[in-house]
Amino acid sequence: MASNATRMPGDISAAEHRRQILSHQLGRWVPLFILAVMSVVILAPIMWTISTSLRSGVDSFTVPPKWLPTDLAVENYAKVFETVPFARQILNSAIITWGTVLGQLITAALAGYAFARLEFKGRDLLFWVVLATMMIPIQATVIPVFILIRNLGLYDTYWSLILPATPTAFGAFLLRQYYLTIPIELEESALIDGANQWQLFRQVYLPLVKPGLAVLAILSFNFHWNEFFRPLIFLQHENYPITIGIFQLQGYMMTGSISVVLAGVVVSLVPVIIIFLFGQRYLIEGIMRGAIKG
Amino acid sequence: MSAEKKMSRRDLLKMAAAGGTGLVMSGLPVRVIAQDMVTIKVQTAGLDDNTLQPVADIQMARNPNVNVEWVVLTGIDHEEVAAKILALVAAGESIDVGYAATEACQLFAGQGLAAPLDDRITSDPDQDFWTDFFSDVHPSLTEAMMYEGSLYEPPRDFNAANMYFNTNVLAENGFEVPGEEWTKDDFLEIARGTTKKDDSGNTEVFGYAWTNRLWGSWMPWIFVAGGNLYTEERAPGGSWVWDGYYEGDMAADGRGGGFRWREPVANSAEVVEALQLVVDLWQEGVTPDIAMGTGQTLTGFYSTGLLCMTPAGGFWAGRLGNEGMAKGDFDVQYWPNWRNQKHQFGTGGHWLSTTSTAPDEAWDFMKIEVSHEGFQSSIFFNPVIITTPSRRSYSQADAFESTGPANSDVFYGTLDDHPSTSPIPAPPWSNPMTTIFTTYTGFAMSGEMGPQQALDEMQAELESLTNRQPQYYGDD
Amino acid sequence: MSGKSLSSNNIGGIGGLYHWLFQDTMEGLRRRRALLGYLFLLPTLLGIFIFTAGPIFVSFGLSLYRWNIFKPPDFIALDNFERLLADRRVIVGLGNTLKFTVLAVASQVSLGLILALAVHRINRIWLRYYFRTAYFLPLLMSGASVAVFMGYIFHKEFGPLNYYLTLLGLPQIPWLTNSDLVMISIAIISAWRNLGFTFLIFLGGLANLSQEVLDAADVDGAQGLRRLWSVVIPLLSPQILFATVTGVIGALQVFDEPYIMTRGGPGNASRTLVMVMYEHAFKDIEFGYGSAIAIVVFLMILAMSAVQMWLWRNRVFYQ
Repeated sequence: MASNATRMPGDISAAEHRRQILSHQLGRWVPLFILAVMSVVILAPIMWTISTSLRSGVDSFTVPPKWLPTDLAVENYAKVFETVPFARQILNSAIITWGTVLGQLITAALAGYAFARLEFKGRDLLFWVVLATMMIPIQATVIPVFILIRNLGLYDTYWSLILPATPTAFGAFLLRQYYLTIPIELEESALIDGANQWQLFRQVYLPLVKPGLAVLAILSFNFHWNEFFRPLIFLQHENYPITIGIFQLQGYMMTGSISVVLAGVVVSLVPVIIIFLFGQRYLIEGIMRGAIKG
Repeated sequence: MSAEKKMSRRDLLKMAAAGGTGLVMSGLPVRVIAQDMVTIKVQTAGLDDNTLQPVADIQMARNPNVNVEWVVLTGIDHEEVAAKILALVAAGESIDVGYAATEACQLFAGQGLAAPLDDRITSDPDQDFWTDFFSDVHPSLTEAMMYEGSLYEPPRDFNAANMYFNTNVLAENGFEVPGEEWTKDDFLEIARGTTKKDDSGNTEVFGYAWTNRLWGSWMPWIFVAGGNLYTEERAPGGSWVWDGYYEGDMAADGRGGGFRWREPVANSAEVVEALQLVVDLWQEGVTPDIAMGTGQTLTGFYSTGLLCMTPAGGFWAGRLGNEGMAKGDFDVQYWPNWRNQKHQFGTGGHWLSTTSTAPDEAWDFMKIEVSHEGFQSSIFFNPVIITTPSRRSYSQADAFESTGPANSDVFYGTLDDHPSTSPIPAPPWSNPMTTIFTTYTGFAMSGEMGPQQALDEMQAELESLTNRQPQYYGDD
Repeated sequence: MSGKSLSSNNIGGIGGLYHWLFQDTMEGLRRRRALLGYLFLLPTLLGIFIFTAGPIFVSFGLSLYRWNIFKPPDFIALDNFERLLADRRVIVGLGNTLKFTVLAVASQVSLGLILALAVHRINRIWLRYYFRTAYFLPLLMSGASVAVFMGYIFHKEFGPLNYYLTLLGLPQIPWLTNSDLVMISIAIISAWRNLGFTFLIFLGGLANLSQEVLDAADVDGAQGLRRLWSVVIPLLSPQILFATVTGVIGALQVFDEPYIMTRGGPGNASRTLVMVMYEHAFKDIEFGYGSAIAIVVFLMILAMSAVQMWLWRNRVFYQ
C-alpha cells in the first residue's frame, strides 16, 4: 500500500513483514467478525421469539421491538395449553415420532445387515431397487397412500403416519455402511465359537453398529418431530402433532394472540433441544457422515 | 344419489383389493361403547370444543342414552374447515352433524353429504317449536341455508359485514361515528383523514384494512357498487317454509328455494370499480398490504390503535373485549351507501349427515342447538357475543351490554332494515371459487395486475371452473 | 424341535427342507444365510412395496381419472394432463418452485461453506462450540414453527426486521406481500433454517482433509483466497455436490413455509407446485387431477436424483 511509494532496498522485508502482519490480523479478525455477525443474525429471531412469548398481548406488536421479556407474562404459556390441546399434541408428537424411529431402527437394522453381510440371489438388484425408491417423494404417493390408509381404517390414527414411514431406504443404506466397516474376522471367530446366524447378528454385529443406530434414530427423530405435510393430511385436531398445534394457535380467522403463538413455538422447541443436548454427537456425525460416505 | 354412493364405496373396496395389500391390521383402536348408548359425532369449527358443550349437556341430560362426541376441525377460514370436512369424509370417517357456514352449505348439499330437513321440520309433532323459531329468525338467513328448494341447516348465527371504528382514532382526528346513511365519500374522507404517516412516508396508523377472504374482504364494496361475483337467481321451491312458517312476514315475500349462482360476472364494471377503490386506498397508504396467512393480524392492529376502520360483524364484539378493548373504544355502523346499501352476510349452522347412523339423535342435537335453551347456554353467545345470534331475540342491545358496541342494533338491523341484504356467493364449488377469488384479489392488491386485468383473468378462471362442474342447479 | 425327529416321523417335505437348510456344511450355512437375508429384508421390501413403490404406480393410474371419491370415478385418459398444461397455477407453481430452489440452495450452500471455512480456522474450543451450536440451532425447529415466527418478524409494518431497516434509512420492505419479493423472502427464511445442515457437512469435509493441504491454503490474504479457491474448494466438491443435490431435492418439495406464511399469495406469487397439488387433492378433493400434478413433482425429483446418481456413480456413494 503506502509502502510502495517509499520502497527502498533493504526495507522490503520490513514492509513485507508489516503487510503480512496486517494481512494476518485481517485474516484472523475478518472471519471472526463475519461469524459473529452471522451468529447474531441466526440467533436474534429466536431471542425475539422467546422474549415476545413472555410479553402481554397488547405489547407484542410494539415498535421498536423489545428484546427483554419485561412483563414476564407467563400466562401466555398457560394459554397455549388452554387454546389447543397442546399437552395432548406433545404426546401425539412423541408417540408418532418414537413409533416411527423404533420402526425404522428395526427394519433398517435388519435390512442393512442383509445388504451388507448376507449373500443371496438378487441381493444387489434388490439393493438398487430399494435405493431407487429414495427418489420417490412422499408428495407423489400421498393420494394413493391416503386411499390405502382410509381403506385400512387408519385415518386419523398414529398408524397412518408411523406405518408408511417405517420402511426406510435411507436407513437401510446408512446402516449397511456401518455393517461394512466391521472387520469380517470378528464374524469368523464368532462362527468358530459356535454362534448361530441369529446370535452372530444379535450379539456380534448389532452392538457394533450402535453408533449407526443412534445416528439414524436422531436424524429420524428430528425429521419426523418436525413433520407438517403428512399430519396435515392424515390427522385431525386431537391427534395433531405440535407442528400443527402451533399453526392452530394462530387461530380460527387468525384471531390468536401473537404472544401465545410464540409461547407455543418455544414450548415445542424444548423436547428437541433436550434431545439435541444428549444426542448432538450422533446428529452431527450423521449429517457429516451423510456427506462423506453419501 | 344413493345408488351412486353405493357404487363408489364398492369401487373403493375394489381398489383396496386391487391394491393387493391384503394387509390386515389387527389391534386397531376400537372404541367400546355400552350396548344401548347412541353416540353422535358433532363436528365443530374453531378451536374451542367446549363452546357447544352446554348444548350437548342439555341433550345428554334429557336422553341419558345419548353421548355427544366432538370432532373439532380448524382452519384459517370457512373454506379450509369445509375442506377438512371433505377430507374427513373422503377418508371414510363418519360424522352425524357437520358445521357449515354459507360458504359451504351448498357444497355439502350438492355433494349429497347433507340431508334436506324439510320433512323433519314439517312432520315434527312439535310445530310450535318451528313456528317460534322461524318467527325469530330473519327469512334471508333461512334462505341462505337453502339449496334447490330444501333447507339444509337451521341458521344458528350470522355475520353481516358492517364497518367497525376505533373510536379513539376517530376522535383524535376530529371525526365521529357516522350516521346510518353515510356514503362512500364520507368513508373515504374518514379513511384518509385518520391515516397517519411518518416523515419518510411510512404509514403509522391506517385508516382502513381488511383481510383477503371471501366474506367481508372487499366483497362488501362489490355489493354496494351493485355487482356480484356470480349472477344471483332464486331457485324455485321453498314454499313449504315461506307459506308454512313465514306467512304474513313481509320480508319473506319473493323468496325462493335458495340461491343459484350460475354465471360468473366478476369483471363487470361495478366489480372493477369496487376493486379500483380498495386498490387506490392501498396505493395511497391508507390500507396496509393485504395478505393471507400470518401477514394479517387485524385484531392486533385494531386493538392497539393502529387502525381506524375495518369490515367485521357481530363476532368481533366479544373478541375485541377479549383482546383488551374496553367498551366504548370501538363502535359499528352500516356499510356506507354507494349505488345502494346492499349488505353481504354469511350464516353459520349445522347440517345433518346423510350417512349418520343415528339421524334422529343427531337431529335432536340440531334442534336443541337452535332452541331457546341452546341460545341461552351456548358459549357462542354467553357470557359475551362471539358470533351474531340468528335469533333476533338474542341479538338485541342487552346482549352487547357488557362489551359494546353502542350501535349494536345495526347487526340485526342489517337484515331487518336493509331488505336487499343477501349472502355472499357460495355455489357448490365454493372452495375452488374462493381460491380463485383470493388469488386474483392478491394479484391486484400487490400491484402485479391492474384491477381490470385481475378481474378479467379471475372471470376467465371462474368460467372454466364453472364449466367443469356437473350440473348442480336445476334448469328452471 | 429337532429336525431329525421331524424327518424320522416322515413328515417328508418339511423335514427334508429342514435338513436341507440345517445340514452342517458350507452349503447349509450358505442357505441359512440366504434365507436370513430374505427374512431380514422382508419388512423393508414389503413396506416399500406397499407405501412407496406400489402407490407411485397407482398415482399414474389415478391421474387418468376424474374422481372426487364421493362419486364414481370417470376415466378421462390424458385430459388431466391437458388441463395441467394450460393451468396457470401449475405453471406459475412450477416457476416459483424452481425460483425458490435456486435461491434457497445457492444461499444455504454458499453461506454454509463460508461459515464452515471460517469456523474451521478457529482454535478456541468454546468459540467453535458456540458458533457450531448457533448455526445449528434453527435446524432443530420445524419449518412450520419457523414460518410462524418469521411471518411476524418479516411483517411489513410491525416486524422487527423492517424496524431496523428503517433506522438505516430504508423504506419498509413488503417482504411477504410483494409478488417479486415473497419467494426471495421465503428462500431467505428457509436458508436461515437449513444453513446449519450445509455448514455441518462442510465442517465435516474440512475435518477430513489432510492438515498439509489446509496449511498450504492457510496463507493469508489474496494469495490464500486464491489457494482456497483452487485447492480447498475442489477437495470439498463431494460435499458441495451432496449439499446441493439434497438441498435441491428438499427445496423442490417446499410446502410448509409458504403455506403457513402466505397461503401461496399474493396472487400466485408464492404458490409452489406441491401446494397446488395439495389444494387440488385435499381441498377440492380432485384425486385424479391432484395425482397428475403429483406425477409432475415426481418426474422433477426423479430427474434431479438421476443427476445425483450419475454424478456419484463411482465416487462417494456406492462405497
